[in-house]
Amino acid sequence: MDSANHVENNALLSNASNVIAITAHEFKTPLTTITSVVDLLSAKLKADQHMNAFYEKQLARITTEVFSLNSMVDEMLTINNIVSGHIEAVKELIDLSNYVLPLKEQYHAYIEDNRQPEIVLTGTPKKIYASPAQITRILTNLVSNACKYSRDKAPVIHLDYQEHAAVITVSNDGIGIPEQDLPYLFDPYFRGSNTAGIAGTGLGLSIVKSFTAANNGNITVTSSPDKGTVFTLAFKYPDTCK
Amino acid sequence: MNANILLIEDKAGLLDTLKSLLELHDYTVFTASHGAEGLTVATRYLPDLVISDIYMPVLDGYELLDRFKQDPQLCKIPVLITSAKNDPQEIEDVLQKGAAGYLTKPFVFAHLHEEIKRLLVRTA
Repeated sequence: MDSANHVENNALLSNASNVIAITAHEFKTPLTTITSVVDLLSAKLKADQHMNAFYEKQLARITTEVFSLNSMVDEMLTINNIVSGHIEAVKELIDLSNYVLPLKEQYHAYIEDNRQPEIVLTGTPKKIYASPAQITRILTNLVSNACKYSRDKAPVIHLDYQEHAAVITVSNDGIGIPEQDLPYLFDPYFRGSNTAGIAGTGLGLSIVKSFTAANNGNITVTSSPDKGTVFTLAFKYPDTCK
Repeated sequence: MNANILLIEDKAGLLDTLKSLLELHDYTVFTASHGAEGLTVATRYLPDLVISDIYMPVLDGYELLDRFKQDPQLCKIPVLITSAKNDPQEIEDVLQKGAAGYLTKPFVFAHLHEEIKRLLVRTA
């Protein structure tokens, strides 16, 4: 590619990235109008004593779907920022247990039968150098997935302070990932061949992979169809970072 | 509760819906479709609270916050900013400029109402 073409392509990419960012933000006002209309209908039905369980359930469903669409828009924005180089990790020394322990309560209501994710901590606590916002995003994404796909048992989150790195495993006993899908699992927009009918954008794990790498981390996955999946995150301690 | 609230929002559908919701909860609501109009209405009625969008034509939320800060009559009125942007830096900038709160779009009315009550109690 000659330099003129290279400059032209960069300008096109930059314009496309700006269009995506502006459009994604523009989605949010109509989403707010929809949730407000639902709230207004709900308040009016209650005030006029016409509210019943059917209306309540369907109105709540609209709000849930709006926030689901909003999450998709946020994921699209994050990927856009990563691709266009606009993401900068603001790092500090953090203890991962402060981010792992709250997940138990945070996801208590997420699983329909009220199972709580099981949290296991082992080893001697040691801090890592990472962005709190990005660590939170990594963990919430993996644990949301684990809750979504778990079946009989609740997901297990194990933080193990090993000699050179803090290692977190997030396990579930879900449908598993077919072997042929594993090489593409972290690619943007890729969805497992056995996830038809399950909501998702295919962007979450791509974001997790980018944020993990940006914080001196590494992520791997092992999975057996019909048995479950284990994601393993490893974050090196500052003095062992090369 | 019968507090006076000024709503500033350039999207007519959202402005109209939020006005109806607030009126259902017994608030008196004034509206404006951009910051300059909001400034005129605020000076005339001196509301107890302002809820404003940030990206608007004519005069945006940042400029509005500056004008409120410079005006001895308006500087004590809390301004709650609502915005589609969920960027921590932007939230910090808006709060530094004098906003009393920041709510990210989309939101449910219950959350907005909690913020309204918090800010009205604070200034009571």
